[in-house]
Amino acid sequence: MKFSHRLMALSISSAFSIASMPAFAQASDAEKMKALEQKLERSMQLIEQLSAKVSQLEKAKPTAAAPASGEQQAKLDNLERQVAQLGSGISSRSTDSGLPLHGFADVGLGASGENNAVRGKGSKGFNVGSLDLYLTPQFGSNVRSLVELVFEVDHDGGVATDLERVQVGYAFSDAAVAWIGRFHTPYGYWNTAFHHGAQIQTALSRPRFLDFEDKGGILPAHTTGAWLTGALGLGDSRVGYDLYLANAPQLQVDGSVSALSGLNAGALSPLAAAGGYAGTGTLNMRMAGSTKFRPSVGGNAWYEPAAIDGLRLGVHALGAEIGDDSADLNRTRLRMLGGYAVYSGDRWEVLGEYYGFRNQDLSSGTGKHSSWAGYLQASYSINRLTPYVRLEKTSLDQKDYYFAVQESGRSYTRGSVGLRYEVDPKAALKLEFGRTNQRDIGPGLTDNYNELRMQYAIRF
Amino acid sequence: MRFDLNIRVSVLALSVLLALPATADVFVIAHSSVQIAAGDVRDVFLGNMQFAGGSKLQPVDNAPAQAEFLAKAMRMEPERYNSAWTKKTFRDGVNPPSVKSGDAEALDFVRRTPGAVGYVTSAPSGVTVVQKY
Repeated sequence: MKFSHRLMALSISSAFSIASMPAFAQASDAEKMKALEQKLERSMQLIEQLSAKVSQLEKAKPTAAAPASGEQQAKLDNLERQVAQLGSGISSRSTDSGLPLHGFADVGLGASGENNAVRGKGSKGFNVGSLDLYLTPQFGSNVRSLVELVFEVDHDGGVATDLERVQVGYAFSDAAVAWIGRFHTPYGYWNTAFHHGAQIQTALSRPRFLDFEDKGGILPAHTTGAWLTGALGLGDSRVGYDLYLANAPQLQVDGSVSALSGLNAGALSPLAAAGGYAGTGTLNMRMAGSTKFRPSVGGNAWYEPAAIDGLRLGVHALGAEIGDDSADLNRTRLRMLGGYAVYSGDRWEVLGEYYGFRNQDLSSGTGKHSSWAGYLQASYSINRLTPYVRLEKTSLDQKDYYFAVQESGRSYTRGSVGLRYEVDPKAALKLEFGRTNQRDIGPGLTDNYNELRMQYAIRF
Repeated sequence: MRFDLNIRVSVLALSVLLALPATADVFVIAHSSVQIAAGDVRDVFLGNMQFAGGSKLQPVDNAPAQAEFLAKAMRMEPERYNSAWTKKTFRDGVNPPSVKSGDAEALDFVRRTPGAVGYVTSAPSGVTVVQKY
């Protein structure tokens, strides 16, 4: 009955609305009255017809839902199953079929004012960052795998293909997942959290000392070995850990005589300066092993307190015997110990990491050398915009073979400010300005330079 | 004519429902073999808890109910949830929950799959209700 009333009210309203149309404005009063009467008559007839139709429909409707018989219930169950199966055909899946493929890519342009005798001139113009593809096929409840392939553009514009990660694992529980293969070395936070994922890191660039081995990094960003990782609840808080045993990396020198060896000879480790190979080495993670196994051992432990959602506090350590392939065959005991604090909230993100070194010369008796590196970055999201700022600094002892031989082993200070714009949830446009003070390039020599870069980064 | 009227009334009712703010209840459900508490839901759906009682958990999302679930149970925006899973997958090699097309498919999957955990918007039967939001 309620439906009938609503219909009637609707019709009467419509009739009055129609009756007040301006088409009659010019007619005489008598004509107006006659037209209105006719209109009202037609409206009443229409209402009566509709009311009769609604009554007829309501009488035809069953008065109450009868309990479903066994046959009806079976039909309903069958229908529900068919609907579910139909749904499964159109729903997206991630693990139950196919091969999950994910990736990152970034392109951009930039201008660097770097210009010094040791590191050369900075690049200017458009650039392609990298194309990163990673697969996460699952083989069952416990077996895991992760394969990552990276196409990366080097300084000269050539494309390098890197088997970034190949790791096969077994999950015993949430507290113990074992991996073997090549993986991102689990030191600190940045290296495993972001790595080649430019789109998921807020800033355009990585802190330079945490960059990849051939792009300015001072640590082995990749490791080949075995890795045990896990996390578990501690009340409402969480704790986690990483432990790994791997092939120690090796410093590979390129055989040329570097400008650095002459310009900064007094500050450098004596053999590296005399041999002319200072500043020419890059870390090779010995993915195929070595003729002699030298271990690299590291660990990472973190705590996420329930009291502050999004906060993680961690400590990490890395030890390895690292040799170089120079004529002097220098060997260094790398000892790194550090800590980090990360807060990732809805708007604020604050990252801070510290790496302390106490490396020991094992081949020429220059003793122990202390160095450190660290950064602090903060950002605040306002809708799609995220401004950020970062300070980073390294103080690397040039008498330490580990840093003296490395191409990226010079101390520096850098301040960066940037702006990130979320084009959509999977694409970000970033603009970053940085100023760098480059040191350890010779007595009284420094290079202060600016950089401006733009990046368009996506994930898929 | 009657069929036509029914369709019109259904379309009208659907339009009204879609226009209303989302206030439906969300029932987090699990296969009868799964032993998890209400306090575990967030960890399960963020991939931090993948095992319970020795069995592997299989969380599934329910597309039409996802926004409601994320707001009420996870207290997260969909973008933040997706971003968290991208980072999780990239670091740990763990795949995000598969996405079901609606209550019927989610319920059917959870009923049939040991270890499954999902959510629906109407009171379910044949599964364990972990928490109603």
